Amino acid sequence: MNSMESDSKVRVAVVGLGKMGLLHASLLSAMPEVKLCAVCDKSKLILRISKKIFRDVQVVDDLQKLAGLNIDAVHVTTPIPSHHPIARMLYSQRIAGNLFVEKTLATNYNGAKELCSLAEDFGGVNMVGYMKRFSVTFRKAKDLLDKHVLGEVESFEAYAFSSDFSDVRQGSQVAGARGGVLEDLGSHVLDVALWFFGDLQIGSAKLESLISSGSEDTASFDVKGSGGVEGHFDMSWCKRDYRMPEFGLVIHGSNGVMNVDDDGLRLEVSKGQSGKWYRHDLGDSVRFLLGGPEYSREDEYFIKSVLGKTNAEPSFLTASKVDYVIEQVRRKAGGK
Amino acid sequence: MGDSRSMSLLVGDNPFHNISHLSQARSRDRGDEIGNAGFAAGLVVSSMENGADGFMFSVSETTLSILKTIRDMNRSESMKLYAIVPYAYEYVRLATQVGGVSGLARRMAKQVLFSMNFKAMAAGLKGVVRMDPVALLKTYLYYEISRIKSSAPRQASLDSVMLHEIITEMALALNMDWFLKAYVEFMVKLGIKPGFETRNFAYLVQKFREWKMDFSKVAIATPFNKIGFQMNPSKEECEKALVEAGRSEVIAMSVLAAGYLRPREAMDYILNLQNLKGVVVGVSRESQARETFKLLEGSLKT
Repeated sequence: MNSMESDSKVRVAVVGLGKMGLLHASLLSAMPEVKLCAVCDKSKLILRISKKIFRDVQVVDDLQKLAGLNIDAVHVTTPIPSHHPIARMLYSQRIAGNLFVEKTLATNYNGAKELCSLAEDFGGVNMVGYMKRFSVTFRKAKDLLDKHVLGEVESFEAYAFSSDFSDVRQGSQVAGARGGVLEDLGSHVLDVALWFFGDLQIGSAKLESLISSGSEDTASFDVKGSGGVEGHFDMSWCKRDYRMPEFGLVIHGSNGVMNVDDDGLRLEVSKGQSGKWYRHDLGDSVRFLLGGPEYSREDEYFIKSVLGKTNAEPSFLTASKVDYVIEQVRRKAGGK
Repeated sequence: MGDSRSMSLLVGDNPFHNISHLSQARSRDRGDEIGNAGFAAGLVVSSMENGADGFMFSVSETTLSILKTIRDMNRSESMKLYAIVPYAYEYVRLATQVGGVSGLARRMAKQVLFSMNFKAMAAGLKGVVRMDPVALLKTYLYYEISRIKSSAPRQASLDSVMLHEIITEMALALNMDWFLKAYVEFMVKLGIKPGFETRNFAYLVQKFREWKMDFSKVAIATPFNKIGFQMNPSKEECEKALVEAGRSEVIAMSVLAAGYLRPREAMDYILNLQNLKGVVVGVSRESQARETFKLLEGSLKT
């Protein structure tokens, strides 16, 4: 934190300059409270072009080179399998006190637990990029659920669909680089469900390979919550006509039904006021928009937490529950 | 409103790509017909017959096919074209399918090579050797402009090539003034107005002022609507910025807030905005094309 004491700006580095890395680097750069001071990637092509683009930013090819740059916070936006080793090294080398890791935290629950333990030892702010918590529609749903407008929540159906791989050729290995549908796409709606309903236990589960043998392209499973709520999840990245990834939940309670997705929320209740809200109705503007307003709010919240030295949610500990559920789904489905 | 008679009325292409910023379910409900080039070309032509004077589109195989279909109709009226590049969705999707950024770069190089556009190839070689973002941008622009011109109807004029919002916003955020200035200079030399699509209009105006960019040389497409939808950081800030950017050609998009507002209620707000030079609206049905552009023409061009 020494640099923040001498300069009010938070000095941030971004590790991994793929799509998400560029998105966060840009959003952070546009924030007056932040100084983007370093970016790190191992691809020679990306490093060469980055040196031309990031003109007053250190461009490095090795995490070790971030040491000594007085970095306050690091965004880890590399592919999922490298989150765990990178975060572990950032902690062990004491490169920065505050970490933001894109979802999922790790590839398995043990890895996630180890990072939670390191984060606790190290202190500082730790957060995982489950940006649906920053969507105005899901926030509205959480607010209404907390006010018990649905009465006793009895059951829910959740989905996460995209057409990302709906027309790739059979046998293609391209999806493998993104892991499986559970962590790549489904983890978002899993996090929302854990946020809404608390811990979930997995019942029956099924995983399907559509693109190649061993690829994990659809997931379908049942869950039970501690309060007796029963849920069902459907996930696929091979679904036709989902130009943009789409996430949603239909929640049934003793007083009615709530239908929430990225675009809006519909509430039908027997006692009280039913209603329908689009994003338009829920104050969706942000200081700087890129990719989606959720990302802006997420990064602003993280930086605010770093400046205020307050805990951020979803923390590593909270996010590790998603890794736990994913592992349980795979176990129940008899897969990995 | 400043000079209402000079306002451009443009047909937007979002529905033709099955995009709805109101609801993704709604875009799925439109069915496949809307993506058919013949059907979409009919909607553009119908809009032109009812008051539209141009077409704003992201450059993709879909929109190029629409242009070719209109060209084959041998129509006589003039038509302004405002092209947005790159069609980011197509490239992000392609990157997913060909193995990330390096796979995408290889695919793009192949496309430029097979286009046999020698200006693009020459600029591209320099860009690749030096890893020069400006040279790579010029290569890409030569390539896209040649694709548009080879598909456009004879009587159409390519009035502006606009940078897609993802490129605009990233360049703004990362303080790439050198990149945006080089883009403006290059386009001006080609005789095509450089443009920017943005959902951070107030931020763009602030940065352009800081960088001493000449507002009179550029077109800017950005949301303006009664409810402030996608107007960042706020409706009020965007309205203030519109006054400051008075010399540029500002084209309002999302005027109906993605279908949330009825055209008639949306018009009152647009009519009272100083300095607006155009409006772009997407349509997905013949009757909607007729009614919307008749109303727009009646309100904004009389």
